[in-house]
Amino acid sequence: MVKVDKRKLYHLDWYLIINGCALFAIGILNLVSATSSFYSGSFNFIIKQLIAFSVGIVLIAIIVNFDYRTIANNAKLFYFISLGAIILVLAWGMAAGGARRWISIFGISFQPSEFVKPVIVLLLASLLHEKKREKMLLGLKDIVITFAWVIVPFILIVLQPDLGTGIIIFLIFIAIIWFIGMKKSAYATLLSVGTVLPIIAWHYVLRPYQKQRIYTFLNIDSDPLGVGYHTKQAMIAVGSGQFFGKGYLQGTQHKLQFIPEHHTDFIYTVFAEEWGFFGSIIFFLLFLTFINRCMKISQQAYDELGSIIAFGLGSIIFLQFSINVLMNIHLAPVVGIPLPFISYGGSSLISVLISVGLLLNINMRRYMF
Amino acid sequence: MRKKKNNHPDHDMFFAEPRGTEYEKVLKEKALPDKYRWCKWILVVTMIVLSIRLWHLQIMQGNEMRLQSEMNRIRIKKVLAPRGIMFDKTGKVLADTRPSFNLYITPEDIKDFNETVDGLSSLMGIDREEIIEKLKAASNFPSSFPVKIKDDISMDELAKVEANRVYLPGVSIQIEPKRNYPYGKMMAHTLGYVSEISSEELKQKEYRTYSPGDYIGKYGLERMYESYLRGVDGEKRVEVDAMGREVRTLEKKDPIPGNNMYLNINLDVQMVVEKAFEGKRGGCIALEPKTGAVVALVSRPAFDPNKFASGITKQDWQAIALDKAHPLQNRVIQGRYPPGSTFKILTSLKALEDGLINTGTGFGCKGGFPFGNRVFKCWKKGGHGMVNIHRAIVESCDVFFYNVGLKLGVDRIHSFGTSIGLGKQTGIDLPNEVRGLLPSSEWKKKTYGVPWYEGETVSVAIGQGAVWLTPVQLVQLSAFVANEGVTFKPQIVDKIIGPDGKTLKKFEPVVAADIKMKKEVFKIVKEGMQGVVNEPSGTAYGSRIQNVHMSGKTGTAQSTPVQGRDLGDHAWFIAYSPSEDPAIAISVLVEYGGHGSSAAAPVAKAISESLFTVKPEIKEAMVRGQSR
Repeated sequence: MVKVDKRKLYHLDWYLIINGCALFAIGILNLVSATSSFYSGSFNFIIKQLIAFSVGIVLIAIIVNFDYRTIANNAKLFYFISLGAIILVLAWGMAAGGARRWISIFGISFQPSEFVKPVIVLLLASLLHEKKREKMLLGLKDIVITFAWVIVPFILIVLQPDLGTGIIIFLIFIAIIWFIGMKKSAYATLLSVGTVLPIIAWHYVLRPYQKQRIYTFLNIDSDPLGVGYHTKQAMIAVGSGQFFGKGYLQGTQHKLQFIPEHHTDFIYTVFAEEWGFFGSIIFFLLFLTFINRCMKISQQAYDELGSIIAFGLGSIIFLQFSINVLMNIHLAPVVGIPLPFISYGGSSLISVLISVGLLLNINMRRYMF
Repeated sequence: MRKKKNNHPDHDMFFAEPRGTEYEKVLKEKALPDKYRWCKWILVVTMIVLSIRLWHLQIMQGNEMRLQSEMNRIRIKKVLAPRGIMFDKTGKVLADTRPSFNLYITPEDIKDFNETVDGLSSLMGIDREEIIEKLKAASNFPSSFPVKIKDDISMDELAKVEANRVYLPGVSIQIEPKRNYPYGKMMAHTLGYVSEISSEELKQKEYRTYSPGDYIGKYGLERMYESYLRGVDGEKRVEVDAMGREVRTLEKKDPIPGNNMYLNINLDVQMVVEKAFEGKRGGCIALEPKTGAVVALVSRPAFDPNKFASGITKQDWQAIALDKAHPLQNRVIQGRYPPGSTFKILTSLKALEDGLINTGTGFGCKGGFPFGNRVFKCWKKGGHGMVNIHRAIVESCDVFFYNVGLKLGVDRIHSFGTSIGLGKQTGIDLPNEVRGLLPSSEWKKKTYGVPWYEGETVSVAIGQGAVWLTPVQLVQLSAFVANEGVTFKPQIVDKIIGPDGKTLKKFEPVVAADIKMKKEVFKIVKEGMQGVVNEPSGTAYGSRIQNVHMSGKTGTAQSTPVQGRDLGDHAWFIAYSPSEDPAIAISVLVEYGGHGSSAAAPVAKAISESLFTVKPEIKEAMVRGQSR
């Protein structure tokens, strides 16, 4: 048995825990509604989601027992393990929806790319925190060396193809180097590369269906029965919620089963349809206070390593939340990014809970040597 | 908590101010706070952007979007694949599909539950409770899932519903293919029936590709060849209006019809047997001994498979299921009867083969055979006098076979019978064939724990006692003699043809038994069986046919009393014809029919006549069929 130090328990960030639990509770209730129209009913989905939650809680309990500095010291180990898992997925992973994102061990499916996100944060923090870098601001050399670490999983994940996770990883990298601070010359170089790179990506990296999504995003009515059709249906679902929503379990759009992935990437449409503008605002506030709390933990962290990790983890939640909701309300093109705490998916939920574990860990050690 | 903390030695360390290097202090006080301010701004801007967009979608466009979501009713509907057609050997349709009108309710489209349910109930004369029960049964499915309320409604009912559609929101009518058996009860046991899949079956792995409301083969060939007959359902995406009516089809994937089957059954012969069995109970099977092709199969009493195909009512189902005559039992493969004297053929074959008797062997029959402390009687009270093997078969002398049976012993009868397929499944392509029973001393020891008595062998030798066989097993015995040592697996289906006309599967004859025996043995037994029908003293002389020789063996088997009442003997007749070059082997059983000679043999006579004398063109067809 792991011995729980009561002093550390006292320093658990209960605000973060309660906020997270509220989000998860909304997620489960919403998942019941979203999956109620499936032939097999909600039961299986809810059970699986609750099992994933329990696994996540156990992981949190384990994580808080190790000093985050110890964990960060082993970041490279985690990095190579998850890299190996992604390569396994590419090699043997079972095809799901035309993509190879899953790996099955003992009958349980994993999506290793989900776990890469917190691992990348740990890695970047351990590589870049003040004790490791020569000067206060990052130079171009630092950035290029760190980017080499990021680009490998990025390419492998985009190859799966899981563009959504790839984008998140890339954005985390940008966010963290921005957070630490760069020299002016580095800023300038990055900006110029940033304009050239999208052009290259458009011609050489994006798959036809991904390009199609971007076209569709730009002109929704050109293809009413294809990809744009689903986006249109998602918008109708959200819009038809009006101010107070149609009421819990009363949504009709997703029950007619023409919003694809309405229990994963498009789950926000189910919520917005049933709870309306009023519910959505509360929903957004819950997310934003959660992210704000992450930033607070970052600010209060004992050392810069903790600050960077907490900021990185908060960024993951923020990026996933904002991109997912924006795509649900047609302000961003459709990419496969789950909504933290809310979307169905064990790997995604466990990954978020690992982040929560690390945040609690940093927070409760903020006064220690 | 606090109090405890105060006493703790680490107290100071724990509540100390955050510490760090000088360098870090600079970082924390100057560089990073700037970043956190940025973060806060980003969060605020995100909130504002999301709120404005939501305001735009949900409040400004809300009414329009709500309207669109209500009009927006696109559904995915299943297009049922028509089941494969079954033809007889000559291409006559035995089972096909016809269009039928089925009444559905889509719960989601109901505006006022009582209005729709009561309205439909009074219009169609369906019990209100029945409708509610059906809707409840489907409550696990999305409310856009149409629930079938009534199958196969009549044109009158269809007109009534269509005229009142405006008052019945949620009610719809689908035109769907329905199984049709043009000959009704005829061949019911062979063709089988289809029926709606049950909720228990839906849970089974084997049916995982099915969904509620699907029809599946539950009996006979329909069940045996379900995977071939079923086809692949299509799908269409339709837009429906607020009444649930289809407005337009957006996309359609056509169904792939099931595969067609050609049977070995010859409808003309089948009809002859059906006619001969009118008013009788029992079973009959006729097959080509040289291929195993089943030409006719009848079991009575029968049921009407059409009733199942259009959603059997509770009353109809109970009438069939509770009928004491068991119409759902296929007598030919599931009825176990003592074979009676037909079994003497088996006893003769083995005794002759093993040299225990020959044409010269004689036993005296005085009408009884004292053994142990009882006397086994011969059916002929006065006795047959001195009989040899030929007369013993022709006149069915029991005493002769009591003697032969004792010489053989039960185990030799058992092993020989088993080797030609008695007491085990023949492998006919119908589900749930029973094995029957051919006893041995080992079997008795195992089952009852007591040794076999010689006296029991005496009974077994004439097909009584613990021998229980099915008509299909006995037709194999007849075929075994006709073919002189070779039998083929009985096969009802000849070939399966895909919807594109390509042959998917052709069932070639499969040897079931191939036993080398002395030619002389078959000659003696065949002469005996020919004598049964064609000699004046033969037990089936009354069923002889002009111009064609039929060979056979009668059997009159004692039945087990039912609830203390003796209902009479079962009548058996196994035969093959023409005797010179057998083209058909027949086994007839008439339950409680009395004597084999009077009740069963005429059926075989009718079959042989229809094949070889009445309609020469059929005979030709048969001969052609064999030369393939």
